[in-house]
Amino acid sequence: MAFLELEHIEKDFGAAPVVIDLCLDVQEGEFVSLLGGSGCGKTTTLRMIAGFEVPTRGLIRIDGQDVVNVAARHRNIGMVFQNYALFPNMTAFQNIAFGLSMASIAKADIRTRVQEMLALVHMEEFAGRYPQQLSGGQQQRVALARALAIRPKMLLLDEPLSALDARIRTRLREEIRQIQRTVGITTVYVTHDQEEALSISDRVVVMERGKIEQVGTPKEIYDTPATRHVASFIGTLNMLEATVSDAGSGELDIGGARIRTAAAIRAASGTIIHAAIRPERISPSAGAEGDNRLSGCVTETLFLGSTVRLVVHVEGHRLSVDLFNDPDLPVPQIGADITLSFAPEACIPIYVTN
Amino acid sequence: MKNLINGRAAKPLSSFAYVGVLPFLFFAFAFMLLPSGVLLLGAFQDAHGRFTFANIVALFDPSILKSYAISIQVSAATAVGGAVAGFLLAHAITMGRLPKAVRNFVVTFSGVASNFAGVPLAFAFISTFGRVGMVTFILKQLFGISLYDSGFNLYSFWGLTITYIYFQIPLMVLIISPTLEGMKREWREAAENLGAGAFRYWLRIGLPILLPSLLSSLVLLFGNAFGAYATAYALTGGLINLVPILIGAQIRGNVLYNPNLGYALALGMVAVMAVALAAYVTMQRLTARWMK
Amino acid sequence: MRKRNFWSWLWVVLAFAYFLMPLIATFLFSLRGKKGVLSFLAYRRVFEDPQFLSTFGFSLEMAILTVIAGFLLMVPTTIWIELKLPKLRPLIEALSYLPFVIPPIVLVFGLIRMYSRPPFALVSTPALLVAGYIVISFPYMYRSISGGLQAIHLKTLMEAAQSLGAAWVTAVLRIVLPNIRSALLSAALLTFAIVIGELTLAVMLAWPAFGPYMALVGRDRAYEPAALAILSFLLTWLSVAVMHAVTRGGERSDSGAGAVH
Repeated sequence: MAFLELEHIEKDFGAAPVVIDLCLDVQEGEFVSLLGGSGCGKTTTLRMIAGFEVPTRGLIRIDGQDVVNVAARHRNIGMVFQNYALFPNMTAFQNIAFGLSMASIAKADIRTRVQEMLALVHMEEFAGRYPQQLSGGQQQRVALARALAIRPKMLLLDEPLSALDARIRTRLREEIRQIQRTVGITTVYVTHDQEEALSISDRVVVMERGKIEQVGTPKEIYDTPATRHVASFIGTLNMLEATVSDAGSGELDIGGARIRTAAAIRAASGTIIHAAIRPERISPSAGAEGDNRLSGCVTETLFLGSTVRLVVHVEGHRLSVDLFNDPDLPVPQIGADITLSFAPEACIPIYVTN
Repeated sequence: MKNLINGRAAKPLSSFAYVGVLPFLFFAFAFMLLPSGVLLLGAFQDAHGRFTFANIVALFDPSILKSYAISIQVSAATAVGGAVAGFLLAHAITMGRLPKAVRNFVVTFSGVASNFAGVPLAFAFISTFGRVGMVTFILKQLFGISLYDSGFNLYSFWGLTITYIYFQIPLMVLIISPTLEGMKREWREAAENLGAGAFRYWLRIGLPILLPSLLSSLVLLFGNAFGAYATAYALTGGLINLVPILIGAQIRGNVLYNPNLGYALALGMVAVMAVALAAYVTMQRLTARWMK
Repeated sequence: MRKRNFWSWLWVVLAFAYFLMPLIATFLFSLRGKKGVLSFLAYRRVFEDPQFLSTFGFSLEMAILTVIAGFLLMVPTTIWIELKLPKLRPLIEALSYLPFVIPPIVLVFGLIRMYSRPPFALVSTPALLVAGYIVISFPYMYRSISGGLQAIHLKTLMEAAQSLGAAWVTAVLRIVLPNIRSALLSAALLTFAIVIGELTLAVMLAWPAFGPYMALVGRDRAYEPAALAILSFLLTWLSVAVMHAVTRGGERSDSGAGAVH
């Protein structure tokens, strides 16, 4: 039995369906991200788990208990909001202590617990500060401590890092993950940043327009996207228009070139599909025996720090090819002709109807 | 005058720039500051222009103190009444999950009602609660209750209070609604999430955050009532000796044997309003800090 | 959640009962001009009174003059402050609080004392009345105009205009003013509503304005004051409603909190 079970959850706002037939199981101690663009229903789903929205249809079970009719404040779930929502009239200490004082815990015990939490998020010296005196990152840490202080059954985070600078975001998300591991709490994390979701989650749930597109580990989502939306949402992806030549042997025709994919093709010959290839899996060389080969012309070289991205025009398509920034390897010149190769396993068929 | 682009901070320009505000400053000086200053100075002069504290001392004459007392009482009563009722109404329309149309209507109506003060408002209340007013009439005809025989009198402290409240409540709604709307929904949710119900939320978080705003509104309402002349005059015809009425009478004739005493009265009034304003501004600063 | 809704509705309904009652009562009262039957006699008497038209016309004139003179004074000043002397903004804001500390009754006292004697014998000229009205409406005017200017990011707009070759005056007339139209309109309407019914200044300076006329009618007549009250209310409602309709486009000007006096 999973710790959190969402069964056929649906939510309508008036006539408009915002979450459609959503089913999800989250195991105890797992860190799951709901990933998607704005309007995909991820925040609404989170708020239904928290109890701030009531599902129009469906069941929510936490630790075996049906909670749909349980008020938010009795669910014992910790929540971290996007804009922190720290109480401005209380210090960091008082904010963290608030949930504990609601539970009528003895003052001495509250003290101990709050100190513990402050230490957990590395904010001990800021106990007496008011939210206005703290930076965004600091406020978020206090918000996290506040949510965890009451020893909740589950932790929910609603885009907690989107209001912060890029640098702080990277650091803070690792801290959040570390804290979550230390405490071992089941966590659902909502974000629109795919890099964030991939880097810290045990599993990622990609959502679009109220529905789940794919659930899987970060690697699965990245390497084998199930739908076109997932493929284009996650990372950079080259999408080439291809005609199925021979479904049985996985042969595709891309603008005249014969390309083989290792995945099974679920379409009849003659159908037009998309062949998706990750930029880092394309090599600017002849490659090994059995690799697919394409030839084209380099139109741009972009320096991205640890990678160098080549933009290559091939058969009427623009392909991105990512290379490690190796000082020993010469970067092809703009205008040069180039041969590209990639393994059949790197070619993912994406069906147009998805 | 052609260079306005910020980068070219031409220093000589800034002294020339002050010319632009001269008309306004001149106006403010001539028609606001100077007349008030002259008035306040007059409070410290006697009939021959010599400096004296006598007028200030005369302010402590029992009948004058009584005027201040009544003015303060009416203002305080209507400020508190207006603040409480106005707050509840504003809360209902902003956080009470009512349709937006209701909120818009109440705000528009508040704009009207807060401007409706003065002579028309007095007439309205006389037509309603006066000796031959509609409500007085209906109560007598339909229920046999004689309003005036049971001690009620519109032309009294309480009559004035009910009338003033008619514009105090809308004023409160207008002042406090934006602040209520600035209260983040997430605070309520976070509190709920941590186990607090409505009562404890308001007690520990909602009201403390709103407190500076509420206090500053109270002060504004107080000042509003304290300085009001037209409504009081039209309603009571000068029967009740509020400070503005006293000053008004002094302007028109010689009710007080000493015109400089009138100036002292004005000084007293300005002093009260200035304290109110100082309190208001301080509270507003506090609110701004928390509402970011 | 259901419970909260109920209390909210209850409050709104109660509030409206309280607010509507005097209005309805006044209206009913105003219909009792003719003995025994409901009629608009009181209204007819009001409209037939030549004093009504003349005093209303006078106040209307004063209102228009106040708006024009007030704008001529405030609009250039506010624009100037925003662009060239932002440091003075706190000073002007402080000055805009002053009319609160100096209520009209005190203001008029000071104006009379100051301007009754030569060489500044202005007390018998309407100019003094208009000046007084400008002082009273100044806070609303200022807040409305400066709010409108901030909403349009005045500085950036002016810089863009200038980079395209416009001179200062052209830029103000053709770009700034049209864009703060609703702020100006709401300031004008509010001033209008304040001046028409104003009593304190008009009575003390002895002008045949609408406010003193109403007070006079109140002393002598029984039902006409009620009719006047209703007419006044409708007029104020019209002004505020137009103001709100105009500003719904987005600019946050002063929501119309009135000058009570």
